[in-house]
Amino acid sequence: MTVTVLVLGPIAIGLILYAMPKGAGGLARGIGAAVAALTFVLIAVKPDAPDATLPWLSRPFTAAFHLGYGPISYWVVLLLAVVTFSGLIALRIPREREFTAQMLILQGAMNGVFLAKDLLLFALFWDLMLIPVFLLMLGWGVPARGTRAHGTAAWRYLIYNVAGGLTLLLATAAFGVVNGSTDVIGAHAATVTVGYIWGPWIFAGFAFAFLIKTPVWPLHTWMPDTYAELPPPVVASVSAIQSKAGLYGFIAIGLPFLNEQMHAAAPLMFALGLVALLYGAFIAFTEDDAKRILAYSSLSHLGLILIAIFSFNPIALAGAAVYIIAHGLFSAAGFLTLGYIEEREETRSLAHLGGLAGDNPRLSGALMITSLAALGLPGLAGFAGEILILTGVYAAGFWWVALIALIPIVIAAGYMLRLFQTIMHGPKRADLPERQDLTWNEGFALAPLVLGLVLLGINPHAVAAFAAGVNVLAGH
Amino acid sequence: MPVTSFATAADIGALLPTTIVALTALVALFFDLIVPAATRRLLAVAVAAIGLVAAGIVLAQQYPHEYAAFGGAFLQGGFSTVFSEIIVIATLATLTLGLGVGRDDQVAGSTALMLWSACGAMLMSGAGNLMMIFLGLELLSLGLYCLCAISARATARESALKYLILSSMASGFLLFGMALLFGASGSVALSALAVTKPSVLLFLGSGFFLVGIAFKLSLVPFHVWTPDVYEGAPLAVTAFMSVVTKAGALAVLARFAYASIPSDSSTAILVPVWTVAALSMLVGNLAALSQTDMKRLLAYSGIAQVGYIVAAFAGQTAIGVRYAIFYLAAYTFMNLGAFAVVALMSRNADAVVGLGRFAGLAYRRPWLAALMTFFLLGLAGLPPTAGFTGKILILAATIEGGYAWLGGVLILGTAISIYVYFKIVRAMFARVDEAHVRDERSPNGLAWVTIAVCAVAIFALGLYPFTPSDVLPLVH
Repeated sequence: MTVTVLVLGPIAIGLILYAMPKGAGGLARGIGAAVAALTFVLIAVKPDAPDATLPWLSRPFTAAFHLGYGPISYWVVLLLAVVTFSGLIALRIPREREFTAQMLILQGAMNGVFLAKDLLLFALFWDLMLIPVFLLMLGWGVPARGTRAHGTAAWRYLIYNVAGGLTLLLATAAFGVVNGSTDVIGAHAATVTVGYIWGPWIFAGFAFAFLIKTPVWPLHTWMPDTYAELPPPVVASVSAIQSKAGLYGFIAIGLPFLNEQMHAAAPLMFALGLVALLYGAFIAFTEDDAKRILAYSSLSHLGLILIAIFSFNPIALAGAAVYIIAHGLFSAAGFLTLGYIEEREETRSLAHLGGLAGDNPRLSGALMITSLAALGLPGLAGFAGEILILTGVYAAGFWWVALIALIPIVIAAGYMLRLFQTIMHGPKRADLPERQDLTWNEGFALAPLVLGLVLLGINPHAVAAFAAGVNVLAGH
Repeated sequence: MPVTSFATAADIGALLPTTIVALTALVALFFDLIVPAATRRLLAVAVAAIGLVAAGIVLAQQYPHEYAAFGGAFLQGGFSTVFSEIIVIATLATLTLGLGVGRDDQVAGSTALMLWSACGAMLMSGAGNLMMIFLGLELLSLGLYCLCAISARATARESALKYLILSSMASGFLLFGMALLFGASGSVALSALAVTKPSVLLFLGSGFFLVGIAFKLSLVPFHVWTPDVYEGAPLAVTAFMSVVTKAGALAVLARFAYASIPSDSSTAILVPVWTVAALSMLVGNLAALSQTDMKRLLAYSGIAQVGYIVAAFAGQTAIGVRYAIFYLAAYTFMNLGAFAVVALMSRNADAVVGLGRFAGLAYRRPWLAALMTFFLLGLAGLPPTAGFTGKILILAATIEGGYAWLGGVLILGTAISIYVYFKIVRAMFARVDEAHVRDERSPNGLAWVTIAVCAVAIFALGLYPFTPSDVLPLVH
């Protein structure tokens, strides 16, 4: 019941918000934040909520509306509740009622992706979560450079991701026909057979969707524009949660049921992961648009998680799980902070920003903490994930991969500090308007994310719980 | 089964629904003579609606009673009942789009023609021999020739003439094929055809026959007439053609593919059909990309959609026909819903509606835009609609039937179609200057009812994919 409410509740309330009077935007937003907070409480107080299941198809294969927590998904939906809440309580947004409605629908759909225990249901929510983002980008997106026609980025986002969603659908159909049931996520690997003939094809279909969603070079070209154009609350949600859907798919579907194919694809995935890691880091160093810097740094970080998954090492997998949450925390905090800066200074170009720290100590502190978490400062969550991944990959015998992966981590320190330094330090720019420092609302939005970064960074018990859960999935 | 006597009561009963629809047309014409001018329009549609509902109820009762009437010429129950039911519902829905077709003094006549055309399609869906197929097809087409010409627009005559000439040619192909098939089997009964030895006559006859059917289904490369005819015809007639003609022809194709050709030569005869279906999915969607007139766009989209349905027949699996019917029902609701939205966007439900009219619709008429988005999501095969569920079922059917490549082409075609349908969504949600958009509204509230029914049906069928179990097309 709890899990059903988590998925359908936000969607239903989002739709109901549309029926509210147009003038009540502020109220709608309050309701939205309250719903997000309630989902957080619901997840936090009932971590052992039972699965909810309802039969769906019986022919040509069995499928069910089966929702439930998994070892990683529990934490991801918890994070999503926080990010949605944080995104809704601060920042000026036009047409608040519609915006809040779409954000809640997005939250419900993404909860569905991570809580689905049936492959077909997973595919359903996978497609569903693209639509609110597309509409949000059309309605609230700000074209990155003003040169492109409005909606180009939205278009690219949609076409890329739906293409992935369609191969996912075909692979799901094949999986269902071959195995007889798609109600498998979280089930024991031995209960599932995909066969030698169909296995590679099914894996290819899933992998294509997952790699686009993550994204991984060379399928990433939709991502920087999307992240730059989306309004901050949405990009926080998309980069923190939606981009993890592919990685989650590899862990929850790939590792248990397509293990052989995963092993066969490991060299390719290592290559793609390393390229993403290096490419993202280098581009992040050269970009001028602050949001695009974070976008490319995401590309780099997610490449690291991909490598961790395909090393099949328990320690690396635990690290991947931790880093999935850690990246969610610091990328959401980062995009929100950049949103606050852009709202004040009306630009996010590094060339036009500078010297904000003097008058905005609190804003500066916020950006400082997120930058440090992103570059992997010990004591914060990013470090915990990175060190586990590198140790695990090394222990698995891929010492050269671990070595190459170290390079972008060093570069990360460079580009994150460059971002922080250029915006906050240096001489004060005369042409920048003087605005208020971080407000209470904004601080309140960032607080849970920062708290999460610290807690996850210093608390080994949460990490251990992750590790156990992931390794059960992987069959270790 | 030899014809031993005159028709029994059961034989007449099998044709009862068709008879009801045919007589309703006469009643509508009669009432038109005696009622005051102001009520003509409403009365004609009301009479037709009552007749169609009655026919629908009788049909529903016939469903479990399979019976070969008139010595196997007309097959009642199961398969043909489901098709007839879809035809009846679609006819009823098209009548609501603009409260009949044409001027007030034309409505009774046009309604009668539409009902008789529907009779033709109903005969096709139950046809058990070649003569009945031809009879149904001609009855269907004759009404449509007149209906196409009924609009006052200059292109209407062109549309009607084009349809007349090309459709007659297709009928010629069909008839020639039937003659050859008769030569091969020595009987007009489809059951006799099923036990014929392979011969040149059989192959040639099947080829010509299938060309004729492919023309009616507007499968590529026999589709060229469709966009022009659809564009010229009145909107309701276009909607009618896009569903009813196709339903009738699909029923004939299914019965031919499943039960009427000897199994040892079925692959040779039918692989070209599957290839043509694959072509339709690709070419239909590709051609739709550049369309700006809604009727033309929906014409091309219909070409692709029928390709999806025909793909489900591939391999002649028992589940294939069920899923084809399910998708046909879904397509009926999605397509008629979209047509109803278009009807509401022009004052007399018949103007040329270009893509430009949709610009910013989400801000002017949010409900209409939301529902149109829902229908387009369905046509694109995205959740939460019956289009999504239908696609996964068809994919499973192609995989089970051993035609996984058709599933691949379906995915490719769908990927292209995303661009087609979301072009409209994008226009609706784009922020535009209101002054440049023509905002026409139809006074006809009945179309709203159709839209609501279609939306509910699409959502419900998507969650609960009700597929009738007893629908294998047989011949006696």
